[in-house]
Amino acid sequence: MVNFRLTLILAGFGLTLLIGINVLFIQIPAISIVTVLLLMAIFAVFFREHQSQSNQIIELQAQHESIDVEIIQHTFTQMNTLISKQVVIVETELERVSDLVRDAVGGISESFKYLQNLSAEQQEMINTIISNNKNIGDDEHTTLESFVNDSSKTLDNFVGVIINTSKQSLQTMVYTDEMVKQLEGIFKLLSQVENIASQTNLLALNAAIEAARAGDAGRGFAVVANEVRSLSVNSSELNNNIRTEISLAQAIIDKLRKSVEEMASADMTSTLEAKDKVGLMVEHVGNVNRETNCVVEGLATLAPQIADTVAVGVRSLQFEDLTFQTLDSLKHNLVAIESLSQQLTLFDKNKGNCTEQLLDIQQQCEDLIEHSEHADSNRSVSQSSMEEGEVDLF
Amino acid sequence: MTVKKFVGEDPKSVSIAIEDRFDFSLHQQFRDAYSSSNNSGTRFVLELAKATYMDSSALGMILLLKDHAEKLSGEVVINNPSEAVNKILEIAQFHKLMTINV
Repeated sequence: MVNFRLTLILAGFGLTLLIGINVLFIQIPAISIVTVLLLMAIFAVFFREHQSQSNQIIELQAQHESIDVEIIQHTFTQMNTLISKQVVIVETELERVSDLVRDAVGGISESFKYLQNLSAEQQEMINTIISNNKNIGDDEHTTLESFVNDSSKTLDNFVGVIINTSKQSLQTMVYTDEMVKQLEGIFKLLSQVENIASQTNLLALNAAIEAARAGDAGRGFAVVANEVRSLSVNSSELNNNIRTEISLAQAIIDKLRKSVEEMASADMTSTLEAKDKVGLMVEHVGNVNRETNCVVEGLATLAPQIADTVAVGVRSLQFEDLTFQTLDSLKHNLVAIESLSQQLTLFDKNKGNCTEQLLDIQQQCEDLIEHSEHADSNRSVSQSSMEEGEVDLF
Repeated sequence: MTVKKFVGEDPKSVSIAIEDRFDFSLHQQFRDAYSSSNNSGTRFVLELAKATYMDSSALGMILLLKDHAEKLSGEVVINNPSEAVNKILEIAQFHKLMTINV
């Protein structure tokens, strides 16, 4: 009967532990571990109460001297065997739990460390974006916006220069036309000079005729008339040369006109397109700036939140310490169970006074209870919650 | 491309209408259209409703007209420029220089 209930309790204890381990396998939250440990503690208390009950039964039976000592010894031996087996199983499982928790915490710590580094890197990138957004990097704190605005102004200046060039070219055209009129005036003057030359020529011819008529007396005059005639021919030649030169000048002026026309006529279509593009660019840059500022602000508030969350995770890793402390204290309980089991083997029907032996066992049980209660009150786990302290694992 | 000049009853109001392309080829006609108007305070009205294209020389011509008008203490007004022409006048910021009635 006693043996059966003890087996039931120990089986329950083991089952709970196994369920706990399964739960641990799936997810590691500290709460499930604490729950499992609580269940284990409850079973340990049940076990202790049961132990004292059985001691009382042994005492009663010894007093009446009507029990079969052989059965008692046999029962004790079986209990010992069972307890020893169960203790070994529980110890093994405790070790497994320890290993699992250690591995899991190691992995989580590593990933938190990595996450912290990533978060710091991210923060740095955000800072870079913020500073890049504010200026292009030169000493004059040029922003993209001001750059685009400057470009727009430069384009306006460019348009102004083009129009001014056109205006000046047209003005040059006016002067050129005036110069052409002047040249035409020179041509008129030249034909007058030509007239004078031919009249002079005619005059010289008349003079030569008159000189011939005068005979010897007019011989000298004939020489002068001849000279005047050759002067008129020379002047005619000179006149022709001037005309040729001026004609060349006119040809050059025609070239000048072409050149000035090219200078004055700039097609504004491409400028128009450029202006439109710059306008679009100004709008686009404005939009991008606004959106970027929004996103960067969002990121800037996210980054500290990530850091906080990581800190909470790191603090939660204290469950490793708490779990190990709890597991350690469970080992003490196991030692108590084992020494009880040892006491059971000391019972020997051939040793004489069975009652005394049973009372001895009872006394040992009381000592164990006292020792266990003492240990319980001094449990090293003083922290009941992980929120109370901060542990920096890194 | 033609330049038409109308002088109203009031000799101080000269209307110049440009059709088709307003470019360098018109410079002589354009100048002739205004250079003989020398009355003080003359108002030159440029009708650009039928002008379809305009290059920088046209802008230069208008500026020369403006100089001429200013010498006479007069003014230049542009009437009904087509959309394409108005865009070019906008780039050139002529709206700041003279009255443009769109």
